[in-house]
Formats: sequence, structure tokens, C-alpha cells
Amino acid sequence: MDNKKKDGQVIVVTSGKGGVGKTTTVANVASALAKMGQKVVVIDLDIGLKKLDLILGLENRVIYDIVQVIEGECTIKQALVKDKRFPELYMLPAAQTRNKDDISPEQVVALCDQLRPDFDYIFIDCPAGIEQGFRNAIAAADQAIVVTNPEVSAVRDADRIIGMLESAEFTDIKLVVNRLRNEMVKKGDMLSVDDLLEHLCIDLIGIVPEDKGILVSTNRGEPVVLNERSQAATAFSNIARRLSGEEIEYLSFDDESFWRRLRRGLFSSR
Amino acid sequence: MLEFIKKIFSGDNASPRDHANSRLRLVLTHDRLGSSAQLMETLKEEILEVIARHVDIDGQPEVRLISEGKHAALDINIPIKGR
Repeated sequence: MDNKKKDGQVIVVTSGKGGVGKTTTVANVASALAKMGQKVVVIDLDIGLKKLDLILGLENRVIYDIVQVIEGECTIKQALVKDKRFPELYMLPAAQTRNKDDISPEQVVALCDQLRPDFDYIFIDCPAGIEQGFRNAIAAADQAIVVTNPEVSAVRDADRIIGMLESAEFTDIKLVVNRLRNEMVKKGDMLSVDDLLEHLCIDLIGIVPEDKGILVSTNRGEPVVLNERSQAATAFSNIARRLSGEEIEYLSFDDESFWRRLRRGLFSSR
Repeated sequence: MLEFIKKIFSGDNASPRDHANSRLRLVLTHDRLGSSAQLMETLKEEILEVIARHVDIDGQPEVRLISEGKHAALDINIPIKGR
């Protein structure tokens, strides 16, 4: 943790609704950035319902947690778990037997200020809901990523969260559309990315297709970005690259098989 | 194919995606305003009461919220009795 020039960015990943893929997004985007050589720390603020350690496959290496750091039982350095698969990826675990109101927004701000000089990116995995846990999670953040699914209840919750972020004077709010099924959109059975952008009125930073590989990688405790071939892996890596300032086109997801293309070719040449 | 036939006979041309979009448009407009169906009813009654005090209302008046992106507007449509 030496050759750092600028203070790190604090990015909160939030959604309102649970189960839309916040933790998966944090784990994969952070891993992708770490793979690109950035110094990254992920903070699990879902106190009482922690998941990030499990998704990253670091559950057996946890010794201390964030509440113990805040209460002065240990130092931040002692609590940070290093991910050995990446040069510079660290996790600050949540406490499982404590509550969201055992920490305050001011304490989160102080903690992040301590981490800023040593990292390029500080990701905060926000709990679902709009209560204390949400207020803690957004307190220190410079920018927000809102994760949603193309589904009415997730979009409604995302809209509420965006409203709350805007009242908290966030100016940099980006949208990740997760679990998109392009074939359903084409049939008119699912909301499209454009539909979501029209409703939510914020800028897009990523489109992640529904991918069975996510469950497989979660079961293994390996971020999907380690597997270059999956579409979701590419989508998450692209989010990481966009965050670091690159301009990258969005995937088209036209996953037509060879046979389908051949058949179409035959029909159109009649 | 079966779905296609069902669609023709049900007379409902709107896709599930269209339904989702129109339901979201309505619910988000109300959420953002912190309003409810009850509020819209009250608004409608009171607006009509004021208008009716001065002119004769003719036909079916409409008071509804419309929205486009971040902007919302109250769309009031009150037919007035001509001659």
C-alpha cells in the first residue's frame, strides 16, 4: 500500500429491493478492478445478514469484523481480509451477530477516511431497505451504483432509492441492469434497458445478462470475472472498465447459435 | 403458436412489457409525489367544486397525473357547457 497518488473513491452499491444482485455486483466489479491492478477494498455493511464473504469465498479467513473495528477492539489492518487471487483486493467483513444501528453514519465516514489514502476504490455493499443500514452505507460515498432487475417491483424500489440519493445530494448515480433476458425482451415479455432508463432517468453503467454461471460461481465462492468466457463476466468487467474511465460499447447479447444463423441465412437467400 | 391464437381471441394486444411500462409510469408518478389514489380523488372533487361554482360542467371531467421522465404534470380536462 505505498505508490498511491490520489485518494480513493468511495462507491456505494445499493438497490432498495433485496435479491437483485448487489453483493454479486460488488464482488465482481471489485474483483475485475483488482485484476486490472487497482487497489480495492470492499466493505460489507449488511450487518446481521452478511453475504459478501461467502460470495467472494473468503468466509473461512474472517477473524475480526467492522463493528469490532469501530468499537476499537482491533485495527482496520487486522480486520481486512486479503483475497489471495488478486494482487490488491481486501474485504472488511460485516458482523453477523450485531445490528445495523450498532454503527452510525459518522463512524462509517471516519472509517472510509482512514481507508481512502491506501486504496483506489472503496466499495460499500449496502443492505436492502431504506432504514439505518442504508443511511450508514451512503454516508461516506462519493458516487452510487443502483442495481435493478427488469421487473416492476425492483424498478419501483430503485426509483425510491434514487430519490433518496438525490435528496442526499448525490450527483453521480449510475444504473446497473442485472439479470436481463434478451429473448424475453424481444418477445415483449420483459422490460427493456431503454424502458428502465426512461423510468429511472439516470445514466447506465452496465447491463448484465441472466447467467447460470453466476449461481455456479457463487456455489464455488469464486467471482465469475475469473472465468473470462461467460457473458456476465464480460459485463461485470466492462462495468469496472467504465468506472475507471474507459468508454466501452454495451454488449448486444444476440446469442444466436450457429444453426440459427445458418437457418436464417438459408431462408433469407430464397 | 398457442400464445399467438390466445392473443388474437383475447383482444388484448398489449404485451406484458407494455403492461409493466404503463403500470410503472403510474405508480412512479404517484410515489414521487407521495400521493395516493385517495389524494387524486380529493383533488378531483375540490377542483370540480371550484369550477362548478362559476361555470356549468358538461360531460365527464378528468383529473390525472401524467409524467414524462423526471417531469410530472396534473392533467385536468373539464368539458364546459357550450350553447
